[in-house]
Amino acid sequence: MRFNEKELVSLSRQPSERAAELGMKGPKKGDVVKKRLVKLVVNFLFYFRIDEEEPIGALLLEQCRVERESGQVFSIAFLDETEKKYMFECDYEEQCGEWIDAIIKASYEFMRKNLIFYRTEIHRLTGQDPLEQYGISDETRFQVNSGLQLTPKETSSM
Amino acid sequence: MKLNERSVAHYATCESPPDKTGFLVKKGERNTAYHRRWFILKGNMLFYFEERESREPIGVIVLEGCTVELCESAEEFAFAIKFDCAKARIYKMAAENQAAMESWVKALSRASFDYMRLVVKELERQLEEIQEAGRGDLVAAAPGGPLVKSKSARRNPLARTRSGASSASSTSSSSSSGGALSAAVFSSQRSVQEETHLPSGPSRENGVAWSKPPAALTNGFGDGALSCVPWDSYPGSGSGADGSRPPPVPPRRRGASLESPVSPGTVCFSKLHEWYGQEVELLRGEWLQSQ
Repeated sequence: MRFNEKELVSLSRQPSERAAELGMKGPKKGDVVKKRLVKLVVNFLFYFRIDEEEPIGALLLEQCRVERESGQVFSIAFLDETEKKYMFECDYEEQCGEWIDAIIKASYEFMRKNLIFYRTEIHRLTGQDPLEQYGISDETRFQVNSGLQLTPKETSSM
Repeated sequence: MKLNERSVAHYATCESPPDKTGFLVKKGERNTAYHRRWFILKGNMLFYFEERESREPIGVIVLEGCTVELCESAEEFAFAIKFDCAKARIYKMAAENQAAMESWVKALSRASFDYMRLVVKELERQLEEIQEAGRGDLVAAAPGGPLVKSKSARRNPLARTRSGASSASSTSSSSSSGGALSAAVFSSQRSVQEETHLPSGPSRENGVAWSKPPAALTNGFGDGALSCVPWDSYPGSGSGADGSRPPPVPPRRRGASLESPVSPGTVCFSKLHEWYGQEVELLRGEWLQSQ
C-alpha cells in the first residue's frame, strides 16, 4: 500500500506529545529488545535508532489495544491481529502508566467519541448545539451516528 | 520507513463509519493521467481504492499538516492537497461537480488531528464552564446528586416530545427521542470518567465495536451526510431559556501547548475557525471569478 512517506517523516519531526528512549521489541518471533527513541506525534508512534534523524518506522494508533504486561512493560497490538504485540520497556512504573494513558488518548477515534460526548452533554444542559456558532454542526465527523451504540460492555473495555 | 500497513488498511475498511466517501479523479504518481478512484476519508487518513468494491486500498494519504487548495488544471472542479515540507508531493484531484468539490475541500481541510483536538478542547472548556455556572446557581434544583446527573426537576429540552402527545414529564426516559440520546450520553459519560481515572490493569482498546454497519454512504456527489440525530428539531429550546449565554472567545489555553508548527496562530479556536472560513471563502471567490 502506498503512502506519503516524506510527509510522514516530516511529521515525525514535529513537537511530540511524549518522547523517550524505551526498549522496543517487534511482534515477530525472534525479534529482540532494542533501545529506541519512541515519539508520539498526533496519532502516530514513531521510533528511531538512538541519535538518528529519520525514524525507522511508524505505527498508526487507530484500532489498537494497549496493555500493561508487567510493572514497567506495555504492549501495543492491533485489532486485526491481536496476537502480534509490540513490546515497550520503560524505566519505571509511573512512566509505563503515563505512556499507556497517552497512547489511548492519541487516537482520532478516541477524540471523536469525546467530542460527541461533550456536544451531546452541552446540548442536553443548554438546549443548544455548541458547534452551531462555528458553522460546523453538519460536519460528518461530528455527528452522533445512529450506528453508534455505547453499551456499558463496550465502554468498559476501554 | 516502515508502517503498520496491514493495520492501517484495516482501519480503512473496519466498521467505524468514514467521514466521507466518493469517487474522485486523481493524478497519477509517475503517469500524469488522471485515474478515477474510490476514496474513503477517515480521521486524518485519506484512502484510495481501485474500485468501490475493492477490499484493500491502493494507497493512503496522511493528511496531517496539509493544506487544500483549488488549482489550475485541465480538469474541471480540481483541487490539490499540498504539504509544507521539502520536495513534498502535490496531490492533484478533481471532483465530478462543484458541490462535490466544495464538500471534499471542506472535509479535507478539517481532517487533521490537530483540528479535532482543538474542537474537543473547546467543547471541554465550554462544558466545564456550564457545569461550574450550574453549580453556582444551584438553588431549588433536584435534591442530591450533581447537576449533570440530575434528571428530574431540571428542565430538559430533550424530554419534550415533538408530537406533544405525552404529558409534560421531565424524566428523559419518557421521550423516545430523548431516551436514546440520554442513554448514549450516560454510557459515554461513564467511559470518559473511566478514562480520566485511569485504573491500571486490564487492557484498553481504542477500537470501538460498531454493532451496526454504517448508514448508507453517498458517493461524494453532493453532501455526504450520514444519518444522525437531528440537533435542531427540539421546539422551544430558545437560547437563554436555561440561563445559558454564548461562550466567550476562548482565552489562551493552560496545559499542553496547542501551537502547531504547521498552522501557527491556531491556539485560539475562534481564530482558527475564522482562518479556515476565510480561506474557503477566498478560494470560492477566486473560483467563481475564474468562471
